[in-house]
Amino acid sequence: MIATIGFILVIAAAAAQVVSLFRKGDKKESLSPWLMAAAAAAFLGVMLSRSVKIGFIALTSTYESLLFYSAFIMILDIVYRFQKKIHYSRIIGFGATIAALVLAAIASSPLLPKEALPPIPALRSLWLVIHVALSFVGEAFFVISFVASLAFLFTKDEKKKIDFDRITYTAVAVGYPIFTAGALIFGAIWAEQAWGRWWSWDPKETWAFITWLVYTLYLHVRLIMKKKNAAPSWIAVVGFLCTVFTFFGVNYLLPGLHSYG
Amino acid sequence: MREFWKKLKSIKLAIALIVILATGSLLATLIPQGKASEEYFKLYPKFVAELVVQTGLNRFFSSILFLVPALLFFINLGACALDRLVRELRKKNKRRHGPDVLHVGLLLLIVGGIVSFSGRQEGMVRLAAGESVALPNGEILHLIKFSDERYEDGRPKDWTSLVNLEKDGTLLKENVEIRVNKPLRIGAITIYQNSYSAALAVAVSAPDDSVTTLARGESFEAEGVRIFFMTTEKKPGVETGEAQAVLRVQGGGLDGAVRVDSQGILVGRYAVATTQVLSTGLQAVSDPGYPFVLVSLILIGLGTALTFAQKLNDTLKEEKA
Repeated sequence: MIATIGFILVIAAAAAQVVSLFRKGDKKESLSPWLMAAAAAAFLGVMLSRSVKIGFIALTSTYESLLFYSAFIMILDIVYRFQKKIHYSRIIGFGATIAALVLAAIASSPLLPKEALPPIPALRSLWLVIHVALSFVGEAFFVISFVASLAFLFTKDEKKKIDFDRITYTAVAVGYPIFTAGALIFGAIWAEQAWGRWWSWDPKETWAFITWLVYTLYLHVRLIMKKKNAAPSWIAVVGFLCTVFTFFGVNYLLPGLHSYG
Repeated sequence: MREFWKKLKSIKLAIALIVILATGSLLATLIPQGKASEEYFKLYPKFVAELVVQTGLNRFFSSILFLVPALLFFINLGACALDRLVRELRKKNKRRHGPDVLHVGLLLLIVGGIVSFSGRQEGMVRLAAGESVALPNGEILHLIKFSDERYEDGRPKDWTSLVNLEKDGTLLKENVEIRVNKPLRIGAITIYQNSYSAALAVAVSAPDDSVTTLARGESFEAEGVRIFFMTTEKKPGVETGEAQAVLRVQGGGLDGAVRVDSQGILVGRYAVATTQVLSTGLQAVSDPGYPFVLVSLILIGLGTALTFAQKLNDTLKEEKA
């Protein structure tokens, strides 16, 4: 019920932004940040109530991961809207909201099991919770970089290109260390504790490694190329698509050690 | 020579190698890894299967397709890290060592990976309660109890092996729990809770309520009664896979082969029935590369965080200026 209310709030936030996009002028739309804050609180509230029910931090199923990921994208979107250091255009905010909405919609799908089940022995680990949480926080920054890089690729305005490039770069620069810590460092520590092997080249691990390589590539290409060059933006787009495949594609197409998550 | 060094440490080479490693890894996830050669001929047309097997795409991460670019990446990273470190040390101020720490961490991770790949050893053992196993370092691991905890819906909650550790008759550790996600570390060896299995046993209950449990091949003798647990077999007409024990019984009014299940029978004054005995599956692992990996992961974490913090600091200062 609370998750459904959250989902409706995200739809309302997206709708408010659609209206604002068609309005002329630079006036900021002020309703959607509050709607998104309420939606994120609803999703995190659902996770809290599930945690109490199962007696463990509820971040071990696809449903819970989707709620967390969606909530964090919205939190990040709000933070970006209120900061004053970087020009955060309405279109990027809207793109991030749509990403959060898509994740919330998948979570709401009747095809996705939602029963709150306590975790199996391999998942009863604090390392796993840190691994999953930080991976999604890092990926939430990659969502912002993805939207900003798409905006870069579609705009012809040179001034806007510089702004979009800056958002892409800063989002990757923050997301990359968090993702590295979550997906690779804490993932390896958990794998060693649970299975006695810190790296198994399991499909999920390999795709997390590919994602990390692509963002490493982004940072190095960005280092040697001019800011108006499109190559870094294309790489940021590919990087985000890799995160999507790592989360969804691997779960449903490439079975392995992570087939539950 | 100078030109060679310049090429070796170039970011362009790093970029090319990252692209090769990422593309190869992607391909490796699309092709099932580590299967027998014949399997690929069943999965793909002959030409494709031959290509996969001959090039090593079927064991990509231990093939030259991966190892050569990884080695080149290691050399490139080493040269780049050294060059960068020297440049930073020459600076009088504004030294930025975040990327150096990160690069050293990555180099150490590759070293740890190689040590782990070449020196890792593992072994599996199954133990029932009361059984022991000798570890390579001379210690004896004795299983006191194994428990299979379940949630109300029947899903597994926890598997726990309660063990004692002894050496030369001296008790080193008593009542230590080995669980999934809570391995037991003994020097260079780590013992993991890996699996469990249930075996059919025969319980012989005496009138004084004492119970003797027989594994297959074991026998019981008392008061002129001899019970030998020969084998197990599927119960006829039962499709659930329920098994029964085949015993050779002498005395107690019976003589010859007797079949017994969980319902039990009486042999003289003794109640005989099948029971389930749980065995724990423990995995012993020795990985000399893991300490390197652990240090490298800490360095990578510190390096990325430091790089970010320094970059942020620089940006803020630039904006102030």
